[in-house]
Amino acid sequence: MNDIGEFTLLVALATAIYGCVAYVMAVRGNRIDLYLSADKTPLIVWGCVMISSICLWRAFLVNDFSLQYVWAYSNIELDTFYKIASFWGGQKGSLLFWTLLLTTYTVVVHFQNRKKNLRVVPYAMAVLLVIIIFFLFLINFSTNPFERIPLPPEDGRGLNPLLQNYWMVIHPPTLYLGYVGFTVPFAFAVAALISKNLDDGWIRVTRKWTLISWFFLCMGNLFGASWAYVELGWGGYWAWDPVENAAFMPLLIATAFLHSIMIQEKKDMMKVWNMSLILLTFVMTIFGTFITRSGLIQSVHTFDEATLGYYFLAFLFVILFACMALIIVRLPLLKSENQLDSFLSRESSFLFNNLLLLGIAFATFWGTIFPIISEAVRGIKITVGPPFYNQVNVPIGLALLALVGIGPVIAWRRATLSNLKKNFLKPLAAAFITAIALLPVIPLGSRVENYTYIAFILCAFVMTCILLEFYKGTASRMGLHEESMLGALTTVTWRNKRRYGGYIVHIGVVLIFAGIAGSQAYGTHIEKHLKPGETFKIRGYDITYEKLVAVEATSVKTRVIAQLQVERNGSHYWTARPEKEFYKGQNQPVSEVDVLSTWKEDLYMILADFREDESATIKVYVNPMVSWMWTGGWIIAFGTMISMWPDRLEQRRRLERFRREESLFPSPAQE
Amino acid sequence: MEFVHFLELLFIVIVLLLVGIPLFGKLKFKKLVEAVDPDNDEYKHLLVRKEETLISIKELECDLDTEKISDTDYQELRKKLEAEANEIIERLDRLEQSRKKTKSTR
Repeated sequence: MNDIGEFTLLVALATAIYGCVAYVMAVRGNRIDLYLSADKTPLIVWGCVMISSICLWRAFLVNDFSLQYVWAYSNIELDTFYKIASFWGGQKGSLLFWTLLLTTYTVVVHFQNRKKNLRVVPYAMAVLLVIIIFFLFLINFSTNPFERIPLPPEDGRGLNPLLQNYWMVIHPPTLYLGYVGFTVPFAFAVAALISKNLDDGWIRVTRKWTLISWFFLCMGNLFGASWAYVELGWGGYWAWDPVENAAFMPLLIATAFLHSIMIQEKKDMMKVWNMSLILLTFVMTIFGTFITRSGLIQSVHTFDEATLGYYFLAFLFVILFACMALIIVRLPLLKSENQLDSFLSRESSFLFNNLLLLGIAFATFWGTIFPIISEAVRGIKITVGPPFYNQVNVPIGLALLALVGIGPVIAWRRATLSNLKKNFLKPLAAAFITAIALLPVIPLGSRVENYTYIAFILCAFVMTCILLEFYKGTASRMGLHEESMLGALTTVTWRNKRRYGGYIVHIGVVLIFAGIAGSQAYGTHIEKHLKPGETFKIRGYDITYEKLVAVEATSVKTRVIAQLQVERNGSHYWTARPEKEFYKGQNQPVSEVDVLSTWKEDLYMILADFREDESATIKVYVNPMVSWMWTGGWIIAFGTMISMWPDRLEQRRRLERFRREESLFPSPAQE
Repeated sequence: MEFVHFLELLFIVIVLLLVGIPLFGKLKFKKLVEAVDPDNDEYKHLLVRKEETLISIKELECDLDTEKISDTDYQELRKKLEAEANEIIERLDRLEQSRKKTKSTR
């Protein structure tokens, strides 16, 4: 089977190269035979990569330690669940997994578009295949997951205990689905540039792809934060780690892109800007991969055998320069005759939001690469930590939060100042009431506390803006039709999925901002070394350390569990069981925290250390409002689903347009 | 020959057949796309623009209903959008007429 897996990767590479050449030749030579020949290649490449992936999965499941990769990331005792996830646990498998997702997306794009716009689609397919070729080249000639060990050992080294968490099955695939997904709009953008079809066709074709990719990237970031929170045992969820930044930057730029394409669709403007944004988003996904695999930056996320950096760097520069050259060559065709109707319009607010998002992305990029630059120039590696990111990004983030509320209230094209005053009156009143109400409750003085105070005020302002939008839409519908409030609300949302789905996403964003603000400013922690029976207090909780229990979980894993009783106002509140897990053959134990999460705050316990006399060092964090962030994430997911849901009216319009076009300009097949 | 090698050979043959068959048919003489017709492109573009302008008019009404713009601004913008829509419709009509004429003379 391993031979087959290795062989199919070679066939996939050869087929992808042929497909890429055939697609380009078909469109340049206007030859349908070549197109139909090339048309088979995405499916063949996908089939080959799928067979190869199945072979690797099989090797994990049957403990085939003759493969170096399986030996390095699995062992006999490893749970089947994690054996499946070990596939993407290391460099080689993760690249194969990336390629599997990319070829799967390519096949879907192929089936969606193979009979449409044949002047653009072949180029888009060729671009997708070029990217597949790059990954297949790496897998075949640099990081082959089917590399053999001459004398296979009886057991493997096992998966890193930190990765033996259910998030390992969820987080990387989600993030990869996002990363890889942006290849599709990028490919269509490049195809539009090459074929000179520079209207908004490529945006319409890839709008859902962009949204899906954005959704997965957003969820991937949140899942990663959640994983870090429960697994790394430091009480936090985001550390501005270079690899976290690498996933955050494309998300920011893609968010800017999602907003600015609306202006192109509406006003046929900002073509160069949108092209640049999608190019930058894709480049950032490659940059993220470069960071993870270059070995230049130390992070919990980077891979051991970081040798691929130069390949990714070269690929990144080739893409960047080729696309920039394409945009420059096509500049005359990308110019728009339309202009903004007014400075006071939703379009302007979107432009500001774009600038702020790019501002945060640039600051994050600078902080991420600064250690590399400083080491290259001065020979000293200067680490850029959270203080830098917080100092720069927090004020920009707050301005962005304000815009989340301001944007929907401003009309498209031109807003009237008097109406704006009227419309902002209630949100401003809500902000004012929040400011007054919070003043005696929360501490002020330090920069963090002041920013948090502003963040809460802005959250109230934005939430009121959004809820008023729902109310106005519902009231307007109720005025025109005899419907109940719930019925009107549902109809309004369902008939304007993009708009109201977007508003729901914004509600999720507000909750995330509130969660971040609350947990960063008002969290507290304590570390105590205790003997059984000893009690300590933290923020109204009385915590008693009861006992230490050691359990042989499996033949390779021993769990040492500390039991603590938590009381609040004199009555029993919770029994906490933080633990340490010891894996055979691993030097460092892994902390498994225990968290009681409520809407108000998280009580977060870590067994930091223990001794033979049963005394233990316990770390307790009280993190306010963390669950607001996770709730915000689910609301974002719900809002995105609504935005993405197929719109029957839009489908009808598209069909009508197509019929009209076909009646006047029939396709060659009909003539 | 080992079974694995036989499978590999079979695999290559299938791939070659799949990509090769279209190259040896009568399709060689058929074109993938017709020569670029600027009218077709413009027509397509105008259809989209027409749709977007009509949506904008609808959104403008929605903005008036939710009191985001004043009546004066609404009237002015509506006039502007209607003029845009009319111009697009006229251009579409012209293209349709000229295309029909060309078809009938063929």
